[in-house]
Amino acid sequence: MVKYPGTNCEEETAFAVKQVAGLESSIVWHTELHWRLWDAIIIPGGFSYGDYGRAGLIASWTKSIDEIREAIDNGTPVLGICNGFQVLVEAGILPGALLANSNGSFIARWLWLRIRRPRGPWLSVATESQLVSMPIAHAEGRYYVNNLDEVRQGPWIEYLENPNGSIANLAGVSSHDGLVLGLMPHPERAAFPWQAPPGYTAGGRLIFESISQSLRNGW
Amino acid sequence: MIRTMPLAPEEIEYVRKALGREPSREELAILEAEWSEHCSYKSTKKLLRTLPTKAPWVLVEPGRDAGAIRLFDDVALVARIESHNHPSAIDPYNGAATGIGGIIRDVLSLGAKPVLLLDSLYLGCLDDDYARWLAKGIVKGISDYGNRVGVPTAAGQTWFAKTYNKQPLVNVACIGLVHPGKILEGRVEPGDIIVLAGNTTGRDGLLGSSFASKPLSGNEEDLAAIQVGNPFLEKLLIDALQEAFKKHVLRHVKDLGGGGLATAIIETAAQNNVGFRVHLDRVHLREHDLSAVEIIVSESQERMLLVPYRDKLGELLEILDRYGVEYSVIGYFTRSKRAVFLYRGIPVADLPVELAVNPPTPRREINPLPPPPPLPKLEADIVDTLIRVLRSPRVGSKAWIYESYDWGVGGRTIGVPGAYDAAVIWLRDGTLRGFAAALHGNPRYTRLDPFRGAALSLAEAYRKVASVGAEPLAVLDNVNSGNPEKPWQHAYTAAMIEGLAWMARGLGLPVIGGNVSLYNEDSEGNMIDPVTSVLVVGRVSDVSKVFPNSLQGCGPVLLAGITEPELGGSEVAEIILGKPVGRPPKPRPSMEKRVAQLAKLLAQEQLACSAHSVGIGGVLVALAKMTIRGRRGLEVSLKTVCEKCTAFEAAFSETPARILFEVKEDKLDLVYEYAAKLGVPVKIVAMPIKQEKLVIKINNYMHQISIDTLVEAYTWAEKNLVRPKGD
Repeated sequence: MVKYPGTNCEEETAFAVKQVAGLESSIVWHTELHWRLWDAIIIPGGFSYGDYGRAGLIASWTKSIDEIREAIDNGTPVLGICNGFQVLVEAGILPGALLANSNGSFIARWLWLRIRRPRGPWLSVATESQLVSMPIAHAEGRYYVNNLDEVRQGPWIEYLENPNGSIANLAGVSSHDGLVLGLMPHPERAAFPWQAPPGYTAGGRLIFESISQSLRNGW
Repeated sequence: MIRTMPLAPEEIEYVRKALGREPSREELAILEAEWSEHCSYKSTKKLLRTLPTKAPWVLVEPGRDAGAIRLFDDVALVARIESHNHPSAIDPYNGAATGIGGIIRDVLSLGAKPVLLLDSLYLGCLDDDYARWLAKGIVKGISDYGNRVGVPTAAGQTWFAKTYNKQPLVNVACIGLVHPGKILEGRVEPGDIIVLAGNTTGRDGLLGSSFASKPLSGNEEDLAAIQVGNPFLEKLLIDALQEAFKKHVLRHVKDLGGGGLATAIIETAAQNNVGFRVHLDRVHLREHDLSAVEIIVSESQERMLLVPYRDKLGELLEILDRYGVEYSVIGYFTRSKRAVFLYRGIPVADLPVELAVNPPTPRREINPLPPPPPLPKLEADIVDTLIRVLRSPRVGSKAWIYESYDWGVGGRTIGVPGAYDAAVIWLRDGTLRGFAAALHGNPRYTRLDPFRGAALSLAEAYRKVASVGAEPLAVLDNVNSGNPEKPWQHAYTAAMIEGLAWMARGLGLPVIGGNVSLYNEDSEGNMIDPVTSVLVVGRVSDVSKVFPNSLQGCGPVLLAGITEPELGGSEVAEIILGKPVGRPPKPRPSMEKRVAQLAKLLAQEQLACSAHSVGIGGVLVALAKMTIRGRRGLEVSLKTVCEKCTAFEAAFSETPARILFEVKEDKLDLVYEYAAKLGVPVKIVAMPIKQEKLVIKINNYMHQISIDTLVEAYTWAEKNLVRPKGD
């Protein structure tokens, strides 16, 4: 769990990794990240550096990004959740951009998602077109990319009801091999059945169960 | 520049006598802040003493930055409520935002981790352009600040009325968690070092607390009294303090709130019976030409007073540096019991601490309250009236507000706001334990009858906590009322506090904190509708067993409690007559308690699958909401709700102490048995039906409304008033 100043979802994400995935997890200050020490890296949600400039911009300039790039080159799974996704996009690790929501305001609500062409360490137990529910909570989550076909070569996650104006209903995108996944919804807030309101289920477990499987048995 | 001193001539004379000399400019500024209503509660101290504050589970009583109770053996709950009315009326965005910042720092002051924010907003009519501008600014201020600091805003309440068109009321509350043994006790000793950490001190918010202690003038210069918030810095401060708490380096922490540096240090010194020497020129400043007076009374945000243990100063500074939090070491506590401020080595203020915290008590008079306007006989088409009530912004959906708040950060929130009567927060500590919290105030009731109104506001917050299945444990209150110098306005303040004390005693709950905001009057000297927001917190032993407020399809709907024909002060009366009318319903503490016990039992044994407390709008509106949220049909029998009432009264009466339970079909007998044992009258008032409809049986006629029609009415206000065309 990489922590920047302003990151605020690191504790619950670490908790979900421990409880659902049954893996050890630690919160690491961004200047102290050494990729070789870890089997997988998660950039949790929040407002890194207050989201000054653009969400995720300043964090994408830090030395931690070099570590993360090297980790990816060496096959370490990387997950960016919400602000973490924004950081990965700003750093150019994932394609596209995350713009202000089309309604101009912060939106926090539960919704349904569809997993497409799952593969890679973060979606290894998912099935094609599987429906899961999770909450979103962001002001800058409208995904945009020039080349949709390029993005669709890897796995992706789409909204059933588009909350923010994202192109092609995209809620999450991935590298071609699924090693790097970025998504706006919060799996750590949907990791236990009681977190879900009536009508929804804890869809975030899928991500944590996947990484647990993948790190133990490969993907 | 500092404006004229609002200390009264007799107060200045009192100072002269006490000191035996002319007070300095700096001393007068300190006393102005310290003796303001906002800091000293000089007009209400006596009244507030009547509130019950003791219970075996209370750990910190009112008087500190926040109160605390023992939630579980190994978990303490820390809570605080505060108003930010005056700033929000001038600059809604920054005013509301800094309210959030301040309340979080109060909870930090006890060594706790903030885990929940709640807000109670009293806004103007949304069809008024200015009121809408204020409303949106306030919501955006809370959203932008609260979301960035990583504390979820997961519950609250919003009221709309014309009286708040120009002067909205913003009450915010924060709840934190800490191990009971690790609560900071606020103890300091002579020789302890004073560190000022956080934001630079600047010219914003000069004399904000005395500004909040007089009517708004409408002058441009009021803007200089507004503080500007920096949520990113607040977040760094929170993280740095959590690390400092963990490493046990701090013995005392205090927020620099109303009155700034002077108030924070003086209050600490007074509590510990010590004095201090503080060098103002050591304070890190934003503008370098600030005068001594300005440094003393600046209310720049995101600043805290930190007192480390003797040998831990270095460790503290190291933590602050790591998080990039600025600080200065500004002085130390002394044995002398004098408040001494120096500027470039020269004392500019030297006052006995005793004098600073004990303003002369002003004489406050009270006039008898006027009786509420009488209620005429009300009768109208029930279906039509139900639609009108659901379209009222006070009753309708508030999704546009809570969806702009990050209610889920922390991963502790159960479900979403609106899906439960109270916020339910999971401890996320490897158990299923948690707590519930609800904030409520009804200004229509308090305007018509302040005693009953305040009592009923407390009762409703209590009922909301109870109806998720939690056990209510403590109360915090925020009194918002008029000018204490005017006897007819001060009467409302006094009656609200009496009503609150009476209801808290009746429910057996301690009041662990509160806030009083006075001088809420317009530029012509008219009082705006007074109101008391009440926060109730309760224990949840298993968060997976709490009741949602939407129909789940497990059986019939049971009404617990009795219904009387009580339409006085009701939503329906205001909608039909265009103004608040009549005496609000009779508060019933003993029935509230019994109904709450029943709810807890039903949750524990999982005998019901949903529950909803009956509030404004009455039973029919409550049933309609359960129908809308669950998208399941119901057939309602109004005759069963209340036999001696007309169908109209049965539908819309606001008799308190009632909760609706959707009971599991096969558990009905057991529920009847428990209810009888507790002395709670229960009866089935609605049966599930297959069609997506609300069917209302009135005198043997069936009236039908589709759920789609109900949803349209319920979301009408946010669709048509919040974003009208061209906005």
